[in-house]
Amino acid sequence: MAGARVPVKAGYFTVPDDPAEPPRLLGSRCEDCGEHFFPRRAVCAKCLSERMADVLLGPRGTLYSYTFVHFPLFGSTRVEHIGYGVGQVDLPEGPRVQLPLAGRQEDYRVGLPVEAELEPLREEGGQEIVIIRFRPVASS
Amino acid sequence: MKDVAVLGVGMQRFGMWPDRSSTDLGREAGLAALRDAGLSFRDVQAAYVGYIFAPVMSGTRTMKEFGLTGLPVQRVENASATGSAAFREACLAVASGRHDVVMALGFDKMTQMIQSSSQTTHPAWLEDAILPAAFFALWATRRMHERGTKPEHLASIAAKNWNNGALNPMSQRQPEKPVTVEKVLASRMVAWPLTTMMSCPIGDGAAAAIVGRPEIVRRLQPGRPVVRVAASELQTERYEPGHLFVGPVVGPARMTRDTSRAIYEEAGIGPRDLDLVQVHDAFAIEELEYYELLGLCAEGEAEAAIERGDFAPGGRVPVSTDGGLIARGHPGGPTGLAQIWETTLQLRGEAGRRQVKDARVGLCHMMGGGSVCIIHMLVRE
Repeated sequence: MAGARVPVKAGYFTVPDDPAEPPRLLGSRCEDCGEHFFPRRAVCAKCLSERMADVLLGPRGTLYSYTFVHFPLFGSTRVEHIGYGVGQVDLPEGPRVQLPLAGRQEDYRVGLPVEAELEPLREEGGQEIVIIRFRPVASS
Repeated sequence: MKDVAVLGVGMQRFGMWPDRSSTDLGREAGLAALRDAGLSFRDVQAAYVGYIFAPVMSGTRTMKEFGLTGLPVQRVENASATGSAAFREACLAVASGRHDVVMALGFDKMTQMIQSSSQTTHPAWLEDAILPAAFFALWATRRMHERGTKPEHLASIAAKNWNNGALNPMSQRQPEKPVTVEKVLASRMVAWPLTTMMSCPIGDGAAAAIVGRPEIVRRLQPGRPVVRVAASELQTERYEPGHLFVGPVVGPARMTRDTSRAIYEEAGIGPRDLDLVQVHDAFAIEELEYYELLGLCAEGEAEAAIERGDFAPGGRVPVSTDGGLIARGHPGGPTGLAQIWETTLQLRGEAGRRQVKDARVGLCHMMGGGSVCIIHMLVRE
């Protein structure tokens, strides 16, 4: 059993202590115009206000578009990952985010409700490095 | 833009050139442009050099290949639109009245960039660097959902561009037999629904343009049609709801719409007056979207226009006449200048087997990551 889970890159998503709890995206909300952003930013891209508050976004959203990559176009390090998915997801708060997708192409269609999850990438120094990705919302 | 003309153009065929340095490629393209203009390097008063991947100082160092005349040299970089950006700066330097003859030079060896970047990228870090094919595949999936676009439409664009490349001696891809829609569809899948043949290759190359006062053309090349730079526009992203901040290769598609509207206004020439168009067709879906965004056809009508052959040779407004990024190639720095090379030859009537009949107005469109949209309009006097 690996130790603590840590994000592959700090500043983008939460890693809840409870493994059953979905991660959330670290975003900003403009206190002047109310627009939401991912990732966090210091200045509102819409009204240029500097009054930005930290907020958590997601974890659910709607699939805007998707693809699955079958070819290691950018060199040998990608070969082992042939078949990975990429999606653009509209979050209910407004931002559109682009992240990996779990599973297979057949699992997806435009407009599908999806949910963020953490996926172990590798172990490093006794820690488990995790990435964030989306999967179809589990039907229950 | 007042009183700026293309005096000369030159390029080195894009391709895999393991034995030629970017300096060699840049020198040969620049010398070809000078010969075409009928000028000596001593006449060049300033240079803007575009490259993405070459080491620092490559701009000034490469320019020393032409001779050491002390001219001002400035490196320009704007990702895929680097060559277009260098061309724009050269035109602005002439339009400002500061210089009469300016060189824009672009070169790159994309083959070396791939080797160095593959050591620092990882698919799990998609938020940093998505595969360009995957990003534009997301455009394609969405388009198919909204408009019922078929992979055949994308393959038709790619086949057209491959076959245009066969007519261009400077094209990286020069198929010996006509490329069919079926062949494009049967090529290997890169990122669904985009196949390898719907995607531009990597490669090395260089291209150059000399710009200056129109009267120089009349004096040095009497009888040659004067190709003017009627307008130049560069825009970056504007915020809109649903804006993607992390992972996109280029900004929202509307960048092309906004930038083209600005250039049509600046030039006083609309999309219906265009005789030929070059676009940033790194992937076939891009060219399809740009038909509408540039106003070459109405929104939602790209598929029907493709089926009619509107953008094929002999069609209403031929697009990617030199093969586009898909066939002519896309080394990076020189790509935008290759579009200027093609458009200049077409407007002079010197484009050989791919000549667009009586071409008078040409548009060159490039996207650059970051992102920027750069458009130039060239007009034969």
